[in-house]
Amino acid sequence: MTNISRRSFNGLLGAAGAVTLAGGLSACAGTSGKGPRVVVVGGGFGGATAAKYLKRYNPALDVTLIDEDKSHYTCPFSNTVLAGMNDMAYIERKFDALQAKYGIKFVNARVEGIDAAKKTVTTKDGTTIAYDKLIVSPGIDFKWNAIPGYDEAASHVMPHAWKAGPQTVLLRKQLEAMPNGGTVVISAPGNPFRCPPGPYERASLIAYYLKKNKPKSKVLILDSKDAFAKDKLFKEGWEKIYDEMIEWVPAAKNGKVTKVDAKAGVVETDFEKFKPDVANIIPPQTAGVLAIKAGLTDQSGFCPVDANTFESTKAKDVYVIGDAAIAGAMPKSGYSASSQAKVCAAAIVAQLAGEKPMALSAINTCYSLIAPDYGISVAAVFNVQDGKIGTVKGSGGVSPMGAAYQFRKKEADFAVGWYQSIAQDSWG
Amino acid sequence: MRGSPTTLSLCLAFGLVVAPVAAHAADPIAVMADACSGCHGTDGHSVGAMPAFSNKKLDELKTMLKEYKAGKREPTVMDRIAKAYSDEQLDAIATYFASRKK
Repeated sequence: MTNISRRSFNGLLGAAGAVTLAGGLSACAGTSGKGPRVVVVGGGFGGATAAKYLKRYNPALDVTLIDEDKSHYTCPFSNTVLAGMNDMAYIERKFDALQAKYGIKFVNARVEGIDAAKKTVTTKDGTTIAYDKLIVSPGIDFKWNAIPGYDEAASHVMPHAWKAGPQTVLLRKQLEAMPNGGTVVISAPGNPFRCPPGPYERASLIAYYLKKNKPKSKVLILDSKDAFAKDKLFKEGWEKIYDEMIEWVPAAKNGKVTKVDAKAGVVETDFEKFKPDVANIIPPQTAGVLAIKAGLTDQSGFCPVDANTFESTKAKDVYVIGDAAIAGAMPKSGYSASSQAKVCAAAIVAQLAGEKPMALSAINTCYSLIAPDYGISVAAVFNVQDGKIGTVKGSGGVSPMGAAYQFRKKEADFAVGWYQSIAQDSWG
Repeated sequence: MRGSPTTLSLCLAFGLVVAPVAAHAADPIAVMADACSGCHGTDGHSVGAMPAFSNKKLDELKTMLKEYKAGKREPTVMDRIAKAYSDEQLDAIATYFASRKK
């Protein structure tokens, strides 16, 4: 333990700060991994971190991580792959360390259903896996045809690249093939969606690639919103680095994409038709389909959860973390998912030990690269206020406007350091 | 964790014996402090450009965190984060990381 007494650290965090001493003690009673069964579905930032921290907080737990892929390609830093700064291997995260270092069982399967009454999950081949507690971290799926004409087949022509993997490779290939003087259209969705600053970092890094290789080209962002995350900072950076190369069209100026025809290569707004060389359509989103099939979502398409534990309000002993969860002021980001995972893991360890879960304390820190040497950030610390996750007053915010080159360069270096550290913290 | 703690070491850590290295109980301090590890690495062992905690002494960590909070240290993001915590919480976070395995 730390050298702080139980009494003093309870005092620090208030009445909800019940200490889960028994969670640690249970390890003394049994052999490692023979304790209660916790199943985690989804090996992204949320699921991987949850599996690891469950074992950190109570090594006696029997933890199984299930993912349909053999490794996970992260969305963070996938824009650097589009820009040719990194290759796909750079954003590939494997599950080896979670198995070898922490004794987590990994099952490579797609989970098709959850039976919350029987407390089992069923995989595609019909295998059922029983749990005492279940964490669902399914990320997002897309509302196909919410933009008329944009269905899954269309995404193979006009990639979303909003789940990293083959879609990232496809978009990169299209950027490489486009002519100098061509146009890239990025269609950005309305809120809420995964990674709020992501479309704008993408525009920036695509412009970085084009400026070097195809300098007569243009990036046009057609937006369903009139404002976006870190928008003033992005616009300041675009003006400094890319002149007129990036154009952002807000919803108020008819930026919203209302129709696409993938075969004809046409992207439409209410008033204009575009025929870009590359169309990157980022469609509206929901929680991952598993969450929908399991009845964990509400009318918003995302999953209502308890603000301190992330237990679903729709199913007992089922917890939803990451982009799929409705987490109040926390944005849908990899860092949020990872931070939520730790809170959720601690809550489960406490509850399995018959203790009261402690109050949420979480962070989001998110960097965006406008160029390889020009980074900006947003940070926030979260607690629970009136049953909802809010930001701690007087803290958080974005990088200052008008900062010197050295400041932006330092944040760009920290962006890379951020990625390396969070990848290690989640999968390493 | 780095290296699995044995059942014995866990029992020692939670028992009456004062263990030099803490076990990873899911206590409120751990939950608050582990939120920092996304940037600074598990147990403060950052692997890239982010400053590590694991090479810093307790007093140094305590002072740095409070200087960020007070705006006495040139920040990029840490001033925005440190302001969310009381001085006691910052001390507890520093103590947590200083007690992690080096």
